[in-house]
Amino acid sequence: MTDAPRLPRPLIGRRIVEVGGTVPAAAAAKLFSDYGADVVKVEPLGGASMRRLPPFPGDVPSLESGAFHVALDTGKRSLVLDVETASGREALDRLCAQADLVLLHVAPALAVDIRAGVRATAAPPALVVLTEHGLDGPAADYAENDMSLFAWSGRMRQHAIAGEEPLRYAPQVAQMQWAATASAAGAAALWARANGEPAREIEVSAVEALAGNVDTWFVAWQFQGAETPRASGQSKLAYPAGCYRCADGYVVFAAAGQPFFNRLCEGIGHPELATDPRFADPAQKPLHFDDFFAVLDPWLRTRTKHDIFITLQGFGVMVSPVLDASEVAGDAQAVARHSFVDREVPGAGKTTIAGPPFRMTDAWEAGPPPRVGEHTDEVLRALGYSTTQRLALFRAGVTG
Amino acid sequence: MTSHLLEGIRAIELCEVWAGPTAGSLLGDLGADVVKVESFPRNSMTRPLAAPVPGPGEGPPWERSHIHHLANRNKRNVALNIRSDAGVDVFRRLLATGDIFFEGYSAGTVDRMGFDWETVHAINPRLIYVSLPGWGAKGPYEGYVTLGSGLDAAGGHTIVRGYPERPIEDTSPIYHSDATGALALVFAVITALHRREQTGKGVYIDISQIEVLNWHLPAQVAEWAMNGRLPERLGNRDPLIVPHGCFRAGGGEAGDDSWVVVAAETDQQWSGLARAMGHPEWAVRGHPWATVPGRLAARDEVHSAVRSFVASDTAEQVAVLVQRHGAIAAPVVAPWSLLADPQHLHRGWMQTVDHPYVGTQMFPGFPWQVSPDAPSWDRPAALVGEHNGEIFRALGYSDDDLARLQADGVIGDRYGA
Repeated sequence: MTDAPRLPRPLIGRRIVEVGGTVPAAAAAKLFSDYGADVVKVEPLGGASMRRLPPFPGDVPSLESGAFHVALDTGKRSLVLDVETASGREALDRLCAQADLVLLHVAPALAVDIRAGVRATAAPPALVVLTEHGLDGPAADYAENDMSLFAWSGRMRQHAIAGEEPLRYAPQVAQMQWAATASAAGAAALWARANGEPAREIEVSAVEALAGNVDTWFVAWQFQGAETPRASGQSKLAYPAGCYRCADGYVVFAAAGQPFFNRLCEGIGHPELATDPRFADPAQKPLHFDDFFAVLDPWLRTRTKHDIFITLQGFGVMVSPVLDASEVAGDAQAVARHSFVDREVPGAGKTTIAGPPFRMTDAWEAGPPPRVGEHTDEVLRALGYSTTQRLALFRAGVTG
Repeated sequence: MTSHLLEGIRAIELCEVWAGPTAGSLLGDLGADVVKVESFPRNSMTRPLAAPVPGPGEGPPWERSHIHHLANRNKRNVALNIRSDAGVDVFRRLLATGDIFFEGYSAGTVDRMGFDWETVHAINPRLIYVSLPGWGAKGPYEGYVTLGSGLDAAGGHTIVRGYPERPIEDTSPIYHSDATGALALVFAVITALHRREQTGKGVYIDISQIEVLNWHLPAQVAEWAMNGRLPERLGNRDPLIVPHGCFRAGGGEAGDDSWVVVAAETDQQWSGLARAMGHPEWAVRGHPWATVPGRLAARDEVHSAVRSFVASDTAEQVAVLVQRHGAIAAPVVAPWSLLADPQHLHRGWMQTVDHPYVGTQMFPGFPWQVSPDAPSWDRPAALVGEHNGEIFRALGYSDDDLARLQADGVIGDRYGA
């Protein structure tokens, strides 16, 4: 086998501008950066708000070491610019005029204003505006966070046992889906622009992004004429489904139809249960959960989650271990695929970040995250600002 | 008018259930010509053969499942037995016409059918080939089977998202990974189109859905790597923000099961919330709750005050009142209130869709708005094999050929016949 020359990353030469300093803006821009684009992160004075999110090494807060910054700002350049001043806006307009795609997440009124500047350039870049509810409408200016967006989307209600407090997902997870939505739409806009088409303007509202993908419970409600039951995770009707205790923790089963149930019966050494009318007859099965549990539970309790996983997957059973954060990166598949990469945090030791979300030869590289304003001077110089102008902008508090 | 961003791109989908089919619809929304190759003669998991059918209307059960409808708009549909010799020939011809091929089966399944990357690349050297298995195409778990529940569990999400005070068995059976897998696929194939421009050749993409989920959970693994601590199961609590929670509202359409989330992340938002609650003095300097450390120290008392306030009105009224004062609040929206939401109505977001079997239904709008060419729901979920004729004829098959293929069970338009 000969070593082929390394290919340039696929988005090489594409210029992306990220404005706003939030988790969704940073996460949306990250994919472009990791797959080869030049991403300039425009941060407010004092640094992007997403740099303030925990955890931090040793619980010492710092704008340079937070988990979200380290994971999501990979390979970007940082320009600190007050875009709410006339001078800052002029610099932003110049930057956008040279860009292929702008990812923008600021308050709606400011977004509309910046959009006007983008439109006025000779060859406008594609534009993705992230908003919580859209640029217009009665809720456009509402203040939101990860939890409240999940609530508005209609998905939080289903993440509950009926009658009890509905729950959010893990912190920031809903915002990450919003970001991934923006990156997908932005990629399409970038592609169209590269093909000489007019630049598109795309709005990605968080609530619409969350409500318009999977888990759209109102459709189930409409089709079924009733709410989807909100029971605890362990189904007593179509089983086994949900989390089950084992010797060292939990495994999760997905009840995916009778063939999978039959394989499970075989896997636990009770093939006769697959043809037992108590479990083979769909009408009877919901009445006999306890009978099946009496067989399954002791089998699980004497085995580790890893052993159960490997053994039953060998029979084609949909089962997974329930892993915690200490186990995820060390899981055999993750290790074999290098699913996580270690990362130095300057002056604060090591951390771990996720590797590529998809694999393509010579495509992914997560460069170091920039310090606040690390590239302000080089970016402004490239935009044509003279030394005196750069000093004056800094002196006036426009840059940092 | 469907968006034209991916106009001229043909994508061939060989997927079931959620993540892959959702990606197909998103590509269709963006203007790609998406051809879904439907599992045949075995019905897919989301196309039930018999009652009870969770769908309105009359007609074949496999055309009326809401899950199938949600994840299959804006595609054409062929039903083809690719495990048959004749089906293989048809599928090879179809692959020769595509720009993108994506499959969502457990690793190795499609290879064993004779459609591994090398073979397909030889059929169509410009084709982008995506595998979307749960744990990725390669590695010790190759061939393992999963749905979203397994990914959520093995990715470290299940263990942190349940009720802090309840056993893990009670964690709700809903999952994040289907949405993330679909979105990653869209980004991946467009990235591959750029690569194809550089090299003139198609490319192979290995998407592990669990790796996609990994990058949506940066804080979880970092908490362990940085500080050797396991992330807590927090519920709606935030260790650094008070108030931050979900509180029972005073009725409305959902009755007792009506909730509002409320949070004040800054002193400014707290000041707004205090005014909304009728106690502006709670945010005045000198009051113990006026500062961030003061509120952290009084979490239970502050939450108790918020709880009393929230119980005084309906979820929607409370949320609007708090928002008017500049703090964070949202009703935990129920299905029926999503349809009536003033914001969605204002933006005309919901889609009214006609379907031959389920009739006229409301569906969610698109996850993005595009200007000037807005996406539109041009094709409701296609019927099994609805486009066999037009697609296979375009591949060079005559009407006689198609009749024979149908008689032989290679193609079809119904199950269980």
